[in-house]
Formats: sequence, structure tokens, C-alpha cells
Amino acid sequence: MSDTLQTVGRMIQEVIGDDWDLDQAITTETSFGDDLELESIEFVSLAEALKEEYGAEVDFVGWLSTKELDEIIKLKVGDVVEFIDLCRSSN
Amino acid sequence: MSFLELNQVRFHVQELGPGAELGESTPAFMAHGLLVDNLASWYFGAAPRVARDRRVVLYDLRGHGRSEAVPTGYDVATGAADLAALVEATSEGPVHLIGHSYGALVALRCALDHPHLVRSLGLVEAPLPPSRLEEMRSIATSDPKKLLAALPEGLRGALLSGRRRAARARKSLEFLLRESSLVADLAAEGDVADDQLARLDVPVQLIYGERSSCRPVGDRLLAALPQARLEVLDGGHYLSVERSAEVGEILAGFLHG
Repeated sequence: MSDTLQTVGRMIQEVIGDDWDLDQAITTETSFGDDLELESIEFVSLAEALKEEYGAEVDFVGWLSTKELDEIIKLKVGDVVEFIDLCRSSN
Repeated sequence: MSFLELNQVRFHVQELGPGAELGESTPAFMAHGLLVDNLASWYFGAAPRVARDRRVVLYDLRGHGRSEAVPTGYDVATGAADLAALVEATSEGPVHLIGHSYGALVALRCALDHPHLVRSLGLVEAPLPPSRLEEMRSIATSDPKKLLAALPEGLRGALLSGRRRAARARKSLEFLLRESSLVADLAAEGDVADDQLARLDVPVQLIYGERSSCRPVGDRLLAALPQARLEVLDGGHYLSVERSAEVGEILAGFLHG
């Protein structure tokens, strides 16, 4: 498991909090919509956690603002991990 | 994540934008719509565009998103007092207020009641009076099922797909529609008279959807407000989500002057 995937996975668990299903493993194929059922306001908390972890280097909010609502719902954890790694490798 | 206690209510507040280096730019505060809405629709929609050249402050209205679920205070005047308290707690000098739907009524009322706090207004689909809004009929029944059925397909899907998410959305709606004063507060909400609007001498950007039941309100406000301009977009009432990119660009351009 990549470091980024591990970090993002930990953040997702923190955001979901008490509702977290302990049996659920987070992989690059896990989808935010169908698998995690992340609510829009939980997505905001995840974005804030990413901002805190990676700073201005990773503009997650800017990236999401270019996507339509249905695209955001279909996102997989791997898409976010890939985006973070891309931002960090280009700096 | 940050929380602020204002008017004895705990509010969830988020900021976007570059911050201190643009100290001269007037900040913008954005208020979302009622019931199924929260600050996320600005956060992932129009707000990042507005935040390109200024600080943007977003908050969840009382009883919505991660703000405290309090039983009372869902009338527009209390909403405006909440927004005024937020502006005073986080900014110096007058600011830009932006709102969608009920949030637009809150921003408008805030400008009327607290003129010293407001430099300009961005009103997206302000339903004035609230009875203009088609969804008001389903809200008045206090039945979460009827309300959800009245929402556009895409929005409903995003809210209700999956067990955990659907259960949480229903629980929040049950509280607001059945256990809080929201339905009664909204039913008691009146109009704002034209002569009151005529005294609101700040620049106002109006944005309405061509297919929205509120569309005629755009023409009325354009005529009644001394410094208003109107953009009509191809869409319905939920422009902050449906047409978030265009709404963001119009607002960013308006504030840039």
C-alpha cells in the first residue's frame, strides 16, 4: 500500500467517525459514492484534512471544482491518491 | 474544520482563498439554501472561483450541515442576525454577501438590517417572497418524502443513494421539518416592500434560472433595487449546484468590479 493511500485511508476513517464499518478495507478501487457513501459535508472535512496534510501543494478543492456533481460521486479513492501523487511529483 | 459560537449557536465555518497576501480585497461571505443544502455546494462549486482573488467565508446555517441542530430561529431575520454576527466575528469593515435561495434572502435581509456591514450583494435565486418557490408546497406538508420527491433527479440521487447516506439525510430532514420551527417560520415569512428595496443603495448581482419558478422575482428586484444587474442562466432553482462554474465566474467578475 502506498503512503498516500494509507494517509487518505486514515483521513476517510476519521471523517466518517462513528459510522465507520470496521470490516471495510480502503483500496484504490473503493468509491466515495457507492462504497463509502460519503456525504457532501464529509467531503468538505476530507478536503480540509488534505489541505492540512499537504498544504497549497495539493489543490484538492480547485480540482474538484472543475468536476460536475455526478463525477464527484463516482470518484474512487485511487483517483484522489493519483491526483495527490501527481501534484507532489511535479513540485 | 472550525466552529464558532454565535448567538448561542455553534456554527460550522470554513474559509477558502489565499488569505493575508490579498489583504486589500474585501472578503466574501456565502450562505447556502434550506433543508437538503449545506456549505458543500458552495465549497465544491462557485466558491473556489470567487476565492481566486479574495478570502471567502462559508458557513452552515443553523440546523444544517455540521452547525448545531437548534429547535428555533429559522426565520430570515434571525438568519440575518447570525450572518451579521459571523461577519463581525471574522472580518473588519464591510464585506460582500452572497446567497443562494433562502441564503439569498438572509443576505438581503442582512444588508437591510445591518447596512454598515455590507459592501455588495450577490443574490442567486432569491425567492421573494418565499411562497414564490415551487418547493414551498412540499415543505409546508412537513413530510420529508414529499420534499425529496420534489427535488431534481440529480440532486435526489446524490442525497439518497446508499443506506448510510440516505438514513442521515432523512434524519436531518425529519428534525428540521418536524421538530424545529422551520416550517412555521417560513410560512410566516413575508415580502420585502419595494420602497425598502429602493433604499438599498449597494451594487447587487442577481442570478436566476430560466426555468425556475422564481424567475420573475429577478425582474422585480432588477426594477426595485437602485444598483442591480441581472444574469439569467439556462437552469432551474438549484443553480449553485447545477451551474456552479458559471455562477462562480459571474460572481467573481462582479466582485472584481
